[in-house]
Amino acid sequence: MNTEIPPFILDNWLLFLPILLIQLTLMATALVHVIRHDHYRIGNRAIWIALIVFVQIVGPVLYFVFGKEEDE
Amino acid sequence: MKDVTIFLKKEGLEVWRTKRLILILTVFVLFGLISPLIAILTPEILSSFGSELNITLPEPTSLDSWMQFYKNLTQIGIYILAVFFCGSVNGEIRKGSLVNLVTKGLNRSAIISSKFIMMMILSLSAILLSFFITAIYTAVYFPDNDSPHIVAGLIPFLVFVVFFSAIILLGSTLFDGSMASLLFTIGVIIVLYLVNIVEPLQAYNPIQLIGENLSLVEGTMELKALGLAIASSLLLAVTAYLFSMKLMNKKKL
Repeated sequence: MNTEIPPFILDNWLLFLPILLIQLTLMATALVHVIRHDHYRIGNRAIWIALIVFVQIVGPVLYFVFGKEEDE
Repeated sequence: MKDVTIFLKKEGLEVWRTKRLILILTVFVLFGLISPLIAILTPEILSSFGSELNITLPEPTSLDSWMQFYKNLTQIGIYILAVFFCGSVNGEIRKGSLVNLVTKGLNRSAIISSKFIMMMILSLSAILLSFFITAIYTAVYFPDNDSPHIVAGLIPFLVFVVFFSAIILLGSTLFDGSMASLLFTIGVIIVLYLVNIVEPLQAYNPIQLIGENLSLVEGTMELKALGLAIASSLLLAVTAYLFSMKLMNKKKL
């Protein structure tokens, strides 16, 4: 499969790169946390993984605020 | 006053240790970056639909970038703030962590004041950070003169955030669950949007502060025109704050 990067992404890499990095970091930290823990304040693992992966920005934030248990 | 500083220190330590500080700043940095990006990409995306759409797209300007900024922050950003802070007072009561402090003589009003101050510090600094990032990228990518008054556009939004923080504070003191307080905050905003239909009240409506930012940036509107809305927002914020204090004094911990 030949996936060519559209030229406007290369032109604006200065904007793309930080956004990509921050979003991936946010998603990764939330995912790692979900997978390492068994109990959540609300919801279950499947719901949180779906939310974190598919809802950009808001998903991980919701997890850290509502899903993550407080004392550890 | 001494109580406030003591409790503020505890609050500061809490947002640091629970990593909320990093989380909130990260999210708003993202908002700051995304706004100019969307402005750049919108014509690209539309033109990728093919040439059968025979529309001539004007070149994006700095104004488009600011439009995205205010759209993102007023439609998603403030609700993220609400999600963050909706459990600030009731969460503490639920955990029972206030009992010791209050029996040792910590003033209950000091708790409310510190929560409010912390909320404002965090929200305003997150928004300012996002604003500076958008401003820098907009200046680099759109070196035009279409948006001369970027600070004038931001001021009403900052005032609105003060008002909004007071509403979140009231919600989280009024209700015991964080979901209920979140819904309360969203409910208030919905009511304000509905009230905005009534023309004579429009000038006093805090919602005006997040609706006219672009005209202010562009310079087609003066900040003076929002004077009444700014005054009434601050008045409502103070009322909500005092009411929260009253509620807190009667609350069972």
